[in-house]
Amino acid sequence: MIAQGARLLEDGKTFFVGWGIPQIVAILAQKLYVPNVVQLFEFGAVGPQSVLPFVRGTMGGPQNTFRSLQWLNMNWAFSYSASGYMDYGMLGALQVDPYGNINSTYLGGTFEKPERRFAGSGGGNQVASHCWRTVIIIKHEGRRFVPKVEFATSPGYLTGPGAREKAGLPKDTGPYRVVTSKALFGFDERTKEMTLLSVLRGLSPAEVIKDMAFRPRLAENIAEIGPPTEDELRLLREEIDPSRIIIRGEKMSAAV
Amino acid sequence: MRKEGNVEYRFEHPDDFRAFVRDRKSRKPADKTCASRDAVSKFVSDGDYIVYDFSSLTRGPQSLIREVIRQKKQDLWIGAEFTLHESALLAGAGCATRIDVGFLGYGNYIGQAVCDGRVKVYEWTNGGLALRILAGARGVPFLPTRDLLGSDNMKVSAAKTIEDPYTGLPVCLVPALNPDVAFIHVHQADIYGNARIFGTNLFALEAAMASHRVIVSAEEIIEPDEFRKDPMRTTIPYFLVDAVVHAPFGAYPGAMPARYEIDLEHVDRLNAIRNDEQMRKYLDENIYGVADHEDFLDKRVGFARMRELRRRATIIEGYR
Repeated sequence: MIAQGARLLEDGKTFFVGWGIPQIVAILAQKLYVPNVVQLFEFGAVGPQSVLPFVRGTMGGPQNTFRSLQWLNMNWAFSYSASGYMDYGMLGALQVDPYGNINSTYLGGTFEKPERRFAGSGGGNQVASHCWRTVIIIKHEGRRFVPKVEFATSPGYLTGPGAREKAGLPKDTGPYRVVTSKALFGFDERTKEMTLLSVLRGLSPAEVIKDMAFRPRLAENIAEIGPPTEDELRLLREEIDPSRIIIRGEKMSAAV
Repeated sequence: MRKEGNVEYRFEHPDDFRAFVRDRKSRKPADKTCASRDAVSKFVSDGDYIVYDFSSLTRGPQSLIREVIRQKKQDLWIGAEFTLHESALLAGAGCATRIDVGFLGYGNYIGQAVCDGRVKVYEWTNGGLALRILAGARGVPFLPTRDLLGSDNMKVSAAKTIEDPYTGLPVCLVPALNPDVAFIHVHQADIYGNARIFGTNLFALEAAMASHRVIVSAEEIIEPDEFRKDPMRTTIPYFLVDAVVHAPFGAYPGAMPARYEIDLEHVDRLNAIRNDEQMRKYLDENIYGVADHEDFLDKRVGFARMRELRRRATIIEGYR
């Protein structure tokens, strides 16, 4: 999932990095594939070149903001995405629905009386609202792919084509890819519905869809995702996260 | 008006805040240094709205927050753009009853407190809260934004959607926020309250401008003349500030960039708090059971640990 996310990034583009796994993805991508990607953190670190190993649980700390081009604050960081300077955003999610709406707030019950409460939006709402292309990274579990999210923390295509624009969100923005531990999804240009693009080597599309509470659209030709490369694994295990705090429990490929 | 959430929110007429600034904020460069105990007892009252910059992981005003808990302040409303362990401690100690977020973490304790209804949460998002503070600093009743639109956060905050008079499109408005107190931990301050932060921040200057009272805690007290030699480095000018507390290791257990590293072992102890009994034990040991911040560092952290955390903070590039 982390390796797959890292392969998606384009060099020479700007990239709004969400908390947690997206930070690891960004570091791996920058070290291996896209040296000229400009990372942006919501705390206002612009273009950092993070020091390894990655320090868990922090984003504004000195390691993650090392060798930045600029240090700002939150209002200015979100101004970069609001004014159109952020090509990509990457966010984690508790739940996602067919239109790429993200729940990261609660599960079960109501907002006032949830059964389980999580961190909530953070800056996720701003990232999903304003970056040109939002990449969602999520573990592939049936309960996470739901027909409708319990709480729309960060907007995807809302209820379908044109809904974002109608709500007042900037046009031509929205979810672009969903990276999971088993597959890669895009969004149908016409219907804005989640579409299975490729599956991890060794898995069939049916096996991927079995673990979802809704049926995604299928691309005409479903491609295969290669397992993590030696380089990706070495960098992740030896340099980025030697204590395996972040990648522990992370299914790196169907074969593992 | 197209949409609005029907929830309570802290708001003050901009003219009332302006009048407060005119009448009650001194522009005189007086010596404002004091002990954290005095700063908190003098400037924080029960029922206050408190905002702070940053979190328990990086440059947070943790010594001031522990002092608030030690003094058992009640019914606080926290403006927590990025709240981590401090929200759990403040809720667990019975100090905070309402939290505007942001990002609500860390660990099970605060999540359970929300589920149990012991603490109310209003969901503004990080960007929404940052903008509210900016509005408070700008002296306007609200600011418009194009996020929050279309999401459910709109329903559980007091943001409103209206028709933008320029484009005719929907636009989101968030109300200004003028907290009672702002806590800001900085790298350097002088005795008058001029302050420098090295590195990123959430909304340090905005929060200082928007708040009725401002308590700065500082790793280091430096000569006032240093600010005039390098004004690009001034994050907060003295006339916004009411109290200056000299608090080395004031961000502990979080990191102070270029000064000391995060104490992950201590953070793990905070992460592990799951119930009231464990919370009580932590509070007794680390907050109620010590006289003040210095006593805490002496008895619960220790010189060797502090030296080690300083040694680990090897990154000084960019901070000099």
